[in-house]
Parts: sequence; C-alpha cells; structure tokens
Amino acid sequence: MKLLKPSWVSHNGKPIFSVDIHPDGTKFATGGQGEDSGKVMIWNMAPVLREEDEKNENIPKMLCQMDNHLACVNCVRWSNNGLYLASGGDDKLVMVWKRAALIGPSTVFGSSSKLANVEQWRCVTILRNHTGDVMDVAWSPHDVWLASCSVDNTIVIWNARKFPEMVTCLRGHTGLVKGLTWDPVGKYIASQADDHSLKVWRTVDWQMDANITKPFSECGGTTHVLRLSWSPDGQYLVSAHAMNNSGPTAQIVERDGWKTNMDFVGHRKAVTVVKFNPKIFKKKQKNGSSPKPSCPYCCCAVGSKDRSLSVWLTSLKRPLVVIHDLFDKSIMDISWTLTGLGMLVCSMDGTVAYLDFSLDELGDPLSEEEKNTIHQNIYGKSLAITNTEVQLSTTIIENPEMLKYQQERQNSAQTNVGAAAAGPESAAPKVNSVMNGESLEDIRKNLLKKQVETRTADGRRRITPLCIAQLDTGDFSPALFNSAPILPSGSSLSNQLAPQLNSDSSPGQPASLGLRPSQDGVLTSPPANSGAKGPEDDRDGLKSSLLLTSASKIEPMKALDSRFTERSKATPGVPSAISSTAGLTPLERPKDGVSALKEVKTKEETSSDSEDKMAAINKNLSFAKRKPELLLDGGEVVEKRKKGRPRKDKMAATIAQPFTQVRSGKRVSFLSRHSYGAARPEQEVTRSLCSAGRLQITPPPPEREPSRAAAPPPPAAVLRLPTPSPQKAFSLQVSMEPSVFLEVENEMSMVAGSKLSQLRCSRDGRDWNTLLPSSVLVAAGSSDVLAVVCDDRMMSVFSCCGRRLLPAIQLASPISALHCSAHFVMALTAGAALSVWDVQRQKALVRNESLQPLLSGADTTVSQSMLTQQGVPVIGLSNGKSYCFSLSLETWTLVADKGDSLVQCADFRSCLPSQDAAASSGPLAVVQGRNLNAGRLASRLSSTPHHLQQSMTLAFLENQLASALTLQSSQEYRHWLLIYARFLVNEGSEYRLRELCKELLGPVHKSASSSWQPATLGLHKRELLREVLPVIGENLRFQRLFTEYQDQLELLRLK
Amino acid sequence: MAKVQVLNVAVLDNPSPFGNPFQFEITFECMEDLPEDLEWKIIYVGSAESEEYDQILDSVLVGPVPAGRHMFVFQADAPNTGLIPESDAVGVTVVLITCTYRGQEFIRIGYYVNNEYTDPELRENPPIKPDYTQLQRNILASNPRVTRFHINWEGCAERMEDSENVDPTSNPMLPPSCLPGKAPPVGILPDNSMDCL
Repeated sequence: MKLLKPSWVSHNGKPIFSVDIHPDGTKFATGGQGEDSGKVMIWNMAPVLREEDEKNENIPKMLCQMDNHLACVNCVRWSNNGLYLASGGDDKLVMVWKRAALIGPSTVFGSSSKLANVEQWRCVTILRNHTGDVMDVAWSPHDVWLASCSVDNTIVIWNARKFPEMVTCLRGHTGLVKGLTWDPVGKYIASQADDHSLKVWRTVDWQMDANITKPFSECGGTTHVLRLSWSPDGQYLVSAHAMNNSGPTAQIVERDGWKTNMDFVGHRKAVTVVKFNPKIFKKKQKNGSSPKPSCPYCCCAVGSKDRSLSVWLTSLKRPLVVIHDLFDKSIMDISWTLTGLGMLVCSMDGTVAYLDFSLDELGDPLSEEEKNTIHQNIYGKSLAITNTEVQLSTTIIENPEMLKYQQERQNSAQTNVGAAAAGPESAAPKVNSVMNGESLEDIRKNLLKKQVETRTADGRRRITPLCIAQLDTGDFSPALFNSAPILPSGSSLSNQLAPQLNSDSSPGQPASLGLRPSQDGVLTSPPANSGAKGPEDDRDGLKSSLLLTSASKIEPMKALDSRFTERSKATPGVPSAISSTAGLTPLERPKDGVSALKEVKTKEETSSDSEDKMAAINKNLSFAKRKPELLLDGGEVVEKRKKGRPRKDKMAATIAQPFTQVRSGKRVSFLSRHSYGAARPEQEVTRSLCSAGRLQITPPPPEREPSRAAAPPPPAAVLRLPTPSPQKAFSLQVSMEPSVFLEVENEMSMVAGSKLSQLRCSRDGRDWNTLLPSSVLVAAGSSDVLAVVCDDRMMSVFSCCGRRLLPAIQLASPISALHCSAHFVMALTAGAALSVWDVQRQKALVRNESLQPLLSGADTTVSQSMLTQQGVPVIGLSNGKSYCFSLSLETWTLVADKGDSLVQCADFRSCLPSQDAAASSGPLAVVQGRNLNAGRLASRLSSTPHHLQQSMTLAFLENQLASALTLQSSQEYRHWLLIYARFLVNEGSEYRLRELCKELLGPVHKSASSSWQPATLGLHKRELLREVLPVIGENLRFQRLFTEYQDQLELLRLK
Repeated sequence: MAKVQVLNVAVLDNPSPFGNPFQFEITFECMEDLPEDLEWKIIYVGSAESEEYDQILDSVLVGPVPAGRHMFVFQADAPNTGLIPESDAVGVTVVLITCTYRGQEFIRIGYYVNNEYTDPELRENPPIKPDYTQLQRNILASNPRVTRFHINWEGCAERMEDSENVDPTSNPMLPPSCLPGKAPPVGILPDNSMDCL
C-alpha cells in the first residue's frame, strides 16, 4: 500500500467535506467551504497517481472551481455515467453540474487565486425543495434517480432523467438525515439520521421497508455526517456511527431480514463514513498453488472522528490495515476508484490523502460480467431496474405508421447522441472564434458603437447587451478568455503597474515602479516588504505599493477598503436620474459605512443631514448648464421649497418615489396623488422639481409615460387617467427596422400670431416634416403610420411618408396614451375611453369604449397600454390584471392576471419544447410580463395531490390558449397549443386530447351546416394537427388515436 | 445562487486623462432569462473620508437579458470635479461598479484608481488647487476587488414566504441574515446577508 497526501489539493485550508472520484478515474471532485461561499473543486487525478505528472507544470492540477453554492458544500457525487456532478450544501440546494464543451481556461472573476479553470463545469439544474442543509446526495444505479437528504429530516428523490422533477419526498426520520446509500440492485435506498435510526426504503412504492434502531440507541448526534454504504453484492449494508457496549462501531446490516449481528469494532470515536469498494474480489491465485474456488468477498473502508482510517475485507476477521493520525481532524468522506485499487480520503482539516493498494493486498477484482452473474444469481432478472423504456418495450406497436414514427425517433435520438459525443473534440479551442462572420475581437473593438442604447420612459439609459453565447446551445465561444485583453494604446502604465503589484507574492523580483515613491516614502518598498513579512496577501501588497505615493493616506485607505465590500444603500434609480447630470450623492447612504450597525439608520439621522443634501441638490441643479430655461425653473423650485419648509425626510422620500415606482412597474395612482398634492402644496413642488430634473437629461417619449403631470391636476371627477405634460421638444424612435425617428419641436415659429409646431420624421435617412397649429403632446408611430395628438385634443394621422391620411380627429377628452401598430392607431383618453382605428380601411374598430368597468377599485389605474399588430388593444392595470378588448365579442376579456394562483401553481415545464424562443416575444408574453414564472411554486406544492396540480396546470394552459386566441397572436397560440397537447399526452387525458384533435381536424366530409372554420388566426387547423400528432405518437398509449387521425389526415390530403 | 455571474470586466481607455469618460467592458453570464433589467452603476469615491463625496457617475439599465453570455460597454462621464474635495483630487481613490437586480445589489466590483500628474514638475510641486486637465487617471485594472452579495432573485413574492425567517430587528429592506451554526467563517469581507431561497 502506498500513501500520499497531495498538499496541493486544498480549499485554502478550509474544511473539505466531501470527495468523489470520477467514474473514469481521471479526475475527482471535492466539496467544502470556500471564502465566503461553498466551493466545489474538480481536480486532475494524474498528478495524484504519478509523481512525474505532479512535477510537470504543464499538467494542470486544478481543473475547475465553482463557488456558486451560497454556503458550505457537504457532498459531491458523480453520476454513474460520469456526465454529471451533483453537489449539496448548507444553502439547502442541490446543484447538478455538467461539463460545457468549452475547453478554454477562465478564472473566477476577481478571485484572489489566479488559477485558471481548465474545464468548464456549468450548473445545469438547481434542485430546490429542502428547507435545511443538504447533507448527502446519491445517484441511483443507472442514474435513474438522484436522492438528497437534509437536516430538514427528509429525503427527496429527484427524477434524474427530467430535472428538476421530484419523484417523491421520504418522510419518517425525526432527526437530521446525514447519509444515504442506494442498494446496488436498485431495490432499496437506505438512510441514516441523528434520530438513532437507519431506515431502508423501497423504490417500488417509496415506503419504509425497515427501521433499524437498536444499534443506534446509545448514539449521540455528534457527527457531522453519517455516510453509510451498501456492499457491491448488495448483501450487506454498513452503517456509520453505531454503538455496541458503549464502543463506537460500524454496524453491519444483512439484507436478509435486516439482521444486525456483526459490526466493525475498533475505532475510538464515532464512525463518520463507510465506503465499500465498488469491486468484488476473490483470492489472488498464487503461482503454483492449485486454483481452488474461493468465496468472493468485499472490501470496505471506514473513517472516523478519531482521525483514523481502517480498511476491511469481509473475508478477514481483522482489518486489512488501520492508519492512525492521517489527519488532524475528523475524516469526512472516502471515495474509491472504479478499479478498486485507489482511494481518496478527505478530512475536516482541509486535506486529502490518497491510498494506493496492490492486487496482492486486496485480491483479484471480479470483472463486471462476473459481478453481474453474482447479482443475477442472488436476485434474479426480475429485479432489474424498471424504467419507462423497459415498460414500453413490452407494448406491441400496432401499425406500421407508428412503428415508422418510433423508429425515426430512435434514429434521431441516436444521431443526437452521436453529435453530442463528437462535441468535445470538435470544440477544441479555437482562439478566433467567429460569430456571424465577425470575430469576437472585432465585436469587442466596436462594441461601444454597436450596442443598442435606448432611453426608458423615465429617461434612463438602457443598454441591450450583446449576446455572445447562448446557454442552451451549449458551447461558449472560448475566444474571450484565450485572447489577451484589448489594451488601448498608451496603456503602458497599467502594464507596468500590474507586475509591480503582484511582485509581493514573488519575492526577489525587482519592482519596476510605475508609481514613483514620493519624497515621503515612509513605507518599505515591495521587495523589502515581501522579504520581511513573507508571503503577504495580494491585497495588502496592492495597498502598500499604491500607498507609496502618499503615505499619509493610510487611514483613508482603510475607509476605501470598506467601499469594496459594503452594499450600497442607494436604492436603484432613486437619485440616478438626477445625478447622471448633476452628480448628486445618493440621498440615503450612511455617512460612515464601516460599521454595519449604522446601516440600520434611524429616521432622525436621515432627517438631520438631509438638509445639507437638499442644499446639494440646489447646488447641483446650478451645475447643469444644458438648458438655461430649465435651470431657472429648478432654481425657482428650490426657492419655493425653502419657503414652504416641509419636513426634510419626507422630501427626500418623495423625490425618490416617482423613479422607483415607475421602475418597478408599480405605477402610482395619480388620481390620489393629485388630490393629495392639492391638500399639501409642497408635494406639488417636489413633483415638479423632479420632473424638472428629468427634463434636463432627455425628453423621453411622452406617450409611454402617462404617469407624470406637471400641469395642475384636472378635475378628478371626469378624468381618471394621467395625461402627459407639454414639452418644448422631444424625439422618439418609432421602429428599429426600418429605422424611423420622430422629432417634435413645439412652438417652433410664430406666424401671424399663432405658434406653429413642427413634426419631423426621419426614415432610413430620408426626412420629411410637417407643421401643426398647436403644440404636440404625444406622438406615436409604427412602420406604417404615425399619429400625433396636440393639446387642443386633435389627433392627426400620417402615412410613413408624411402624407396626412385622415382629417384631424377630435378626441372627447385629453389624451392619456397613444399607440400605433401596423396600420392601427389606438388612443386612450384621460376620460378612460379607448378607441382604435384601422387607418387602412378608415374604420373604427373600437369606439370610445369606456374603461370604467375595469377601473372599479379606488386605486386601480392603467399601468400599461399596448396595441398588438392585429389591432387588438390591451390595457394593463395596476392591480396586475390585463384586459384586452375583444373585437368579435365586443367586450373586455381578461388575458392575464399576475396574482392568478393558477399561474403560480401550474407546472408544465416538462412539456416545454426544447427550443422555441418565438413565443417569448408575443403580446401575451408582454402583458404577462415575460416573467411567467409558472411552475415556480409548483415544486413547493409537492404536498398537494398530483391530480390537483394536474387540474391547475390544465386550467392554466387552457387560459393561455384562450388568451392567445383573443389577442390574435397566432405564434403564441401555436406555442401554447403544442404545450397543451404535450401536457395532455403526458398526463394521459385521452378525452380532451380526442376533442382537441376533432376540433383541429374538422368534418372530413363537407356539409353545409358545419360552422367549422379551417383556419384560426391564419393558422391552418389541419396543419396544427399535423404538428400535434407526433407529440401524441410519443406516448404509445395513444397509438390508436394517433393512427386514427393520421389516417384521416392522409385521406384528406389525397382528396 | 446568483443567476448572473460577472465573468470579466475589461477597463478600456486606461490610463487616460482625468476628464475622459470611464469605459468598462462587462461580460456576464446569466443562468436563465431575467424578467427584469439589471441596473449597473458606476460610483466614483470622491474622498476616502466620507461617502458624502461619492458620485454616481451614471446608471444604466441592461436588458433584456436572456439566458446566455452577454457583454456591453458601460461608459460614464468623468466625475464632476466640483464635488471632489481639493485635498483628495490627487492620489488613490476607488471606483465602484455595482449591479442590482430588483433593487438588490448582488455584486460590487471595486478598482483602485490613482490620479496623478504626468508632468514631473507638477508631481514634485502639486498646485494647491488641483489642475484636473493635467491629471492622469489610472485604474488598477489588474486587481478588481469583487464582493458578491446574496440576494433574492425571485423578487417579492418569494420574499413573503421568507418573512418568518426575517430577524425583526434588522432593516426590513435587507434579506434575512445567515443563520448561525456552521456558518462560513467571515473573513475580511463582511459578507453577506443570505436569502433563504
């Protein structure tokens, strides 16, 4: 036996709680504590196995580190096929990792270690259900299930073929569950917990088969883990910490009757981990000795809190070897190589040890075939893992169409597998990867110019990031991290600086100082520094060398350091709109950021210094020199405010309000605000103050922000909706493709005593303009039409070339929102009446339809309005409900409700098509806020009966279908129809499926009385049926239905 | 876990004259489609003594953010010199890039910044009133200091469920603190209130 402690395997001295060797033996994973999170690391096995590899600097030792777990990682386990790694931690999560085909190295940004990740492992699923620390995870044989156990006393079985689906939750333990092991035959899973019990559960019905308590009655709950193990022949289960005559043991439980007659004795403290060698051994045939048949035996390693490790053979009465003092602290986990000859052990002290055995010591391992023979002899074939495919294979395929279809499916699945297998090779690092014919380098050089930047309704900058890699397509472009960063010319100083700053960690290296020590160079220079203090923290080095210029700044530097780590108190969007030009300090930041206590500031403090801050606003407003007339405005406002002397903290809060509220999508009810403003004049002032501040930045497109009126509030009784305020000039982008810009300049010139306003439009570089007799309040446009409404309530509509299409339309009350889409124009007036016109056909689609029935509650107001490409108006209300006016039904219909419990509970994720991004951009998705977090709560409802969730999902999907239909969004209709069909297929509801097919197929023979329409929303129903049928064909249970409709479709096609 | 991981920040146009805009090329990866925009901010620390002199140079919304890897350049004007205390104009300070999601800051990237006269004459005898036109700004791009905060990515709905875990004495705006026990030993980073997701 050889023993090695690879010192380079470490989590920077932090405890390592788990270790697991990859099935192919080339790498292993460790899990434990990171700097401020949990940490999973993947290491190369070669340097452990061979000394020359360890010395070879070209062979990486660490392959990847992932600090995604929020807290300590208690367990890491590779799946049996080696494709996945599961990790469980104190953050209650189980994460499943998969290797991304990218082979470029990258670092964790900003981490102190400069080691590159040689392999990229990506978290593909997060399994959330546990309400306490996850202590152990285990993959079932053949990776059908993944089990996790937790201090919440439960064990969760996850469907490993369909993450994050949960199969079941095993309840019964009354203490922290700290260990799991699967029966190698797949019939049982065993768990050990702090409740002095070891329980065995059946996988057939997930019920408890045995509850073994006797050997554990004396146990105290003192071990961190209780990793028990099942022997590879399935005959024995060995527990962790058990007691026999007050001595710690590892209890052997026989499969036959769960008898507890034997144990492993000898450890002085509790056993934390037991791990069987995956191989079954037989006695080594010595040369010369006659080959006599000997009974096969197993090998088992036992680790304990007494820091020692023992290795046992079931053929021997005494341990094969006992190793004391291998570690400074308790042993936490053991992992054997699949060959059965190597073993890694990890400890709380943050180190690992590798043990290498020879065949002479352990014996001859049986081949997999021999092992299977043993399994078959003991358990028979009937105990093979049952899974859906096995079950299905017994179903007879009844017709050739179906057979053909099934075969096609299999073929395509195989080619996919083939492609995936070829993936890693083909994705060898290419330094200059190319995207759309353009290298990433080129993209980076022009990124600033190319990226799309817009302004939101409240005038804030919004950048659409450039997507450089999709997640689902798997392989990230490696170019970014292989390539040297683009250093702009003249970056010599930063280059100089970098080595100098790192010089601390490499003693003796002469420091080429970019920063020259100034005359008061009190501090020691970096080389001396490193010599005297030894290896120093990177950061300190950085600090000291930086400080060379001004040693007097040591104290301030400490203060600077705290800035790095302290969470900003400034709420988003609060001061930013103002400060982006004026450079305000955030209003609510604590003055002294060092003490955490101060973060919780009392209101008194805020109010006491807010006077200075307000003065700062005053000062800052005068800094903005872009618009003199507005500057004047601002000055006046502040002056007025001073006279009024409102409560200061109130002031600060109200300034913040409009921005935050718009930002979070919760529009304020302006009806109530106005009345409030009338009662308290200073409120009015603050509002105009902030609108002045906003105007200085950019005039945002007014039609999208109905929520800020600077003008005195109109009588609330008549007008329910806010109106936009007049502006001197504004511009907006109407459409991107073709690129159409609209500019409005009000009161541009005076002709014969009347003020004229100019509307200028630029379309693909060509301009046109027109004049209007009164100032334009709002403008909107689509690629076909443009519409403007003036403050005399006149609406004018122009074609894309500037031709007036309609005579001016007189609106009943001032405009609140205006939208154009395709050749439709929608106007929402302050009187809460909605109209939609079809400009092409010169026809009203919706005529002055009142929103009063929708705005019933006192606080409800319109938060969003929209016009679809089909001319369907949609109104989003502040209470989360969205309505559209159905043109055919001539009534308001509810299309989305954010508070709908069905949305929260429906779980159809398993039915989602693999790649279909089209549906995420339709009007339905827009009104539902794109955060259709359907199924988010689904996992929480595991306690609710399946049929209830099934019904909820069904109801939800049908709602979606109906809404898509009303919105006339054909793509979304198709999207949801396919999900619906898939769900029906998965859930096996033939009745509805048949009805759906019938509706899609329509009458096969033409009849006059039939009211069946062959198309819906421009989609041919029979085409839809053709798309639905393959989905039905996936479930062999419906093969008759599949055949029936396939035949009829075929018939119709031939007709 | 964080849905957004910052993979890299490249400091562009560095070093540069003090008045040049800041430019950071930010690469981040998102685990799943984000229903709401990310908000990025550049904060210039005007003086080490007090946060009063912090300036938010600019804030941008970044979105929509589908799952995948993305990059953008965040450019912001140089700090308003009128708001920087004269004594702090020359020397070392800090620029921070923060990112918030649903109003919660989840990452803070800090760089030391050295403002220095390029002219040796000025360096020896700096003027009493700082001459910003002569100052060069050098961001220590090689040593970003990254602090990650755990936030509730799911927004308000989930937070309600967590309410039972909230320590009533703490600021209700902050997520509940990490439960004691096997809590990570807190190093220099005063990390981190953690959500119970």
